[in-house]
Amino acid sequence: MAQQGAVQVTLEASPDEIYDIELEHSLLEANGKLAVENRTLLDKHGITAIDFMGAIGSGKTTLITKLVEKLKDQIGVAVFNGDATTSNDADAIAAQNVPVVQIATINGCHLDANLVGKGLRKIELENLKMIFIENIGNLICPAEFPLGSKARVVVVSVTEGPWMVRKHPHMFLGAQVVVINKIDLAEAMEVSVEQLINDVHALKPDIKVIPTSCKRGAGLDEVTETLLAI
Amino acid sequence: MHEFSIASGLIEKLLDFAEKNPDKKLVEVRVAIGEFTQIEEEQLRFCYESIISEMPIAGSTLTIEAVLGKVACPHCSYSGPPKYWEGVISGTPIATLECPRCGKAARASEGEECAIRSVRYTQPNEITELTR
Ligand SMILES: Nc1nc2c(ncn2[C@@H]2O[C@H](COP(=O)(O)OP(=O)(O)OP(=O)(O)O)[C@@H](O)[C@H]2O)c(=O)[nH]1
Ligand SMILES: [Mg+2]
Ligand SMILES: [Zn+2]
Repeated sequence: MAQQGAVQVTLEASPDEIYDIELEHSLLEANGKLAVENRTLLDKHGITAIDFMGAIGSGKTTLITKLVEKLKDQIGVAVFNGDATTSNDADAIAAQNVPVVQIATINGCHLDANLVGKGLRKIELENLKMIFIENIGNLICPAEFPLGSKARVVVVSVTEGPWMVRKHPHMFLGAQVVVINKIDLAEAMEVSVEQLINDVHALKPDIKVIPTSCKRGAGLDEVTETLLAI
Repeated sequence: MHEFSIASGLIEKLLDFAEKNPDKKLVEVRVAIGEFTQIEEEQLRFCYESIISEMPIAGSTLTIEAVLGKVACPHCSYSGPPKYWEGVISGTPIATLECPRCGKAARASEGEECAIRSVRYTQPNEITELTR
């Protein structure tokens, strides 16, 4: 300590002697705490937030738009859209006439609980039952940053090739639902949907996997039911 | 690059330490990273070194300790090392959440951390400090 009164003590130390101190401090804790705060706020209002992760272009916006279409007449729905640069995605969803919050991230890498918390304070939470959060298209980053949602959905698509689950295992470990999208293209891509499902289950046996085609509408009822039951 | 966010959080904590202890010079920080996280050692180190280059903690080294994962199974009460998925694309076996004993879904009980463990510092002679 640089207190002048402590001179006597520190004099004994030679200038380059090395000291160790324990400094236990979690680097994920700050975000983790905010995620818990978000969750408490959401629970207080009876809102279920679902967070969608997945590679760029896997179909997150398309899927969320379809879900909003199905649900908006039954329950209050809002969408948070994390887009690094543009508002195209947010605009597409806003066309559905539901509240949309666009969240621009600083490093363009992932949403964090702080940004989502700010978003939650921007909208009217009364009457909302569900918030869909579209994370930035990125398979590696968002896994470490919980947002306060009740469930995480990973959206992958067959166009990412046959090995995408094996290449990005961590994303799946923290998720509750996996959507394998664009199955209408599976044959053309020579990708086995079955194999992708097996790969996901090899990592996490109890995860729910739903193959979909947002284009043709396949599997969307099952996604809706699954999310409503969360 | 989530490593950038993590490095920033780490550096913030270290600058805080440096500010509270102006008589100590940070030489090393030790960080533990769990196997179930997807934090890249090399990227984290790169971010750390680039960010601190102009800071009072410049020159300090980052030492990363890899923490192996462990799982606990609610179905059969297994507790121990995870089942590894061998022979996958990357060559490195992947720790899974499949219970090695009964095959059902287990939970990660260790290996999810990313935390500072300790710091090392030197304490230059106080006399020099005071007469400066
Ligand atoms: N063939 C086919 N195309 C799809 C399907 N779902 C989405 N797409 C198309 O895939 C493209 C990307 O879809 P988005 O919904 O924008 O993907 P995203 O995951 O939101 O992308 P980013 O936000 O940029 O990461 C669009 O051209 C969609 O029309 C599908 O089931 N089948
Ligand atoms: Mg999108
Ligand atoms: Zn078991």
